Amino acid sequence: MIRLLGLQPTYMPGDSLEFEYRVTNVDDASIVAVESSVCWVTEGKGTEDLGVHYFQRLSGNSLASIDWSIAQRVACPLPLSPLSYEGKLVTISWCVRVRFFLSDGTELMAQQPFYLGTVTRKV
Amino acid sequence: MSGWWFIGSLGEALFFAAVFLLGVFLSSVLITWQVMSPSTQVIKVFHGFWLFLGVSLSFAILGVVGFWYRVLKVVTSDEHREVIAQRRLVAEPARKQSQKIPPPNIPDLRLFTDSPGARLAFRLPSHLRENSGLVATGIFAMAWNAMIAVFIVYAAGSLFASRTPWQLLLLLIPGIYIGVQSARLFFRSFVRTIGIGSTTVEIEDLPLFPGRSYRLEVVQYGRLVIKKISVRLVCEEESTYHFGTDVRTERQIVYSQEIATHGRDRIDWGYPLRLECQFSVPTEAMHSFQSMHNAIHWKIIVDGEANRWPSYSRNFPVVVHPQPQPNRTSAAS
Repeated sequence: MIRLLGLQPTYMPGDSLEFEYRVTNVDDASIVAVESSVCWVTEGKGTEDLGVHYFQRLSGNSLASIDWSIAQRVACPLPLSPLSYEGKLVTISWCVRVRFFLSDGTELMAQQPFYLGTVTRKV
Repeated sequence: MSGWWFIGSLGEALFFAAVFLLGVFLSSVLITWQVMSPSTQVIKVFHGFWLFLGVSLSFAILGVVGFWYRVLKVVTSDEHREVIAQRRLVAEPARKQSQKIPPPNIPDLRLFTDSPGARLAFRLPSHLRENSGLVATGIFAMAWNAMIAVFIVYAAGSLFASRTPWQLLLLLIPGIYIGVQSARLFFRSFVRTIGIGSTTVEIEDLPLFPGRSYRLEVVQYGRLVIKKISVRLVCEEESTYHFGTDVRTERQIVYSQEIATHGRDRIDWGYPLRLECQFSVPTEAMHSFQSMHNAIHWKIIVDGEANRWPSYSRNFPVVVHPQPQPNRTSAAS
């Protein structure tokens, strides 16, 4: 589960994005790696593009000390661009993504969208 | 991630592994044979040896790169792969402290500001899309006619030697026809380009910011009678996608604002048409954007209609940056 700590899911460029994530009903020992990222994706007619603004991967020893019953908090400053946009051919969406890789090969993924800037539609 | 996707990726990885093994096997056979028994070596050094070795090694390199790319696709997430790709093999040169870091995924401004204007700050570069047809026709016409000239010389030589190369002469007839037509097409496009004359656009400032006004000057050169000339500010979305084995690009104008228009007028050498105007970028405008397959372009388009010439349209890209944010710390205090 991902929770944005802002009051509303709209952020301005340069703002600090704070979020926390946690996983339940999963044995801590079975978690092999955890990736959290803040990224934008393009949707629409064109081939999907992905841009990663923030990325953190936890694996090995760095996982051992984490108690997954407590939410993990992350903060990162947001960039100036690209802003969220909903056009006719191109849509740019921002989201926070967290992936859990388990020892049996299963991958759990959750994402929480948010807006960057106030330009959300074509001019 | 479906089972078919997994099977497909596995198949690709196995294919590239086989290419790698083939390359390594051929290279090692070639080198070992040369070292152990050079007298029985079929491919002698300087007689295809280096070529064969080069091909074998390229198989090995292609295989190893393709294999690891496929493996990374399976074992890493999209975001992790993107982060790996961002850490380039060759580091970008460090910027000087005085240089401002441009906002991400916005076209580099240096391409637009390297040409100072005569009256305003910058002369905008013209988009090459309209000239690319002329260049391509010119290159084709030159290459084709050069090839035909070589064949004509060869045919003439044969005729002087009292031999008639019938097959070559039969091939030359359509060849010469294509050569003449391509040269005609090129010169017709060339005359049209120089006949209408060049268009220059100068702008007061770059980058553009939403909500601000800018002065613009459009100059149309040439010797012609203009029926109408108009200047527009346009925002265009561009998407590139795969359709079967084709790669297609689709463009759509999502915003168009007429900046200036001018009616019938005569232009002569030394007396160009000058249009001075002012325009504003909309407050809620999206900034310019460029990613691998998608883009949002802003440009100034000059459309013209002239007597005895086909109508024309010339594009001058500009860059719109996001609205600068007020200083949050000072605002808070």
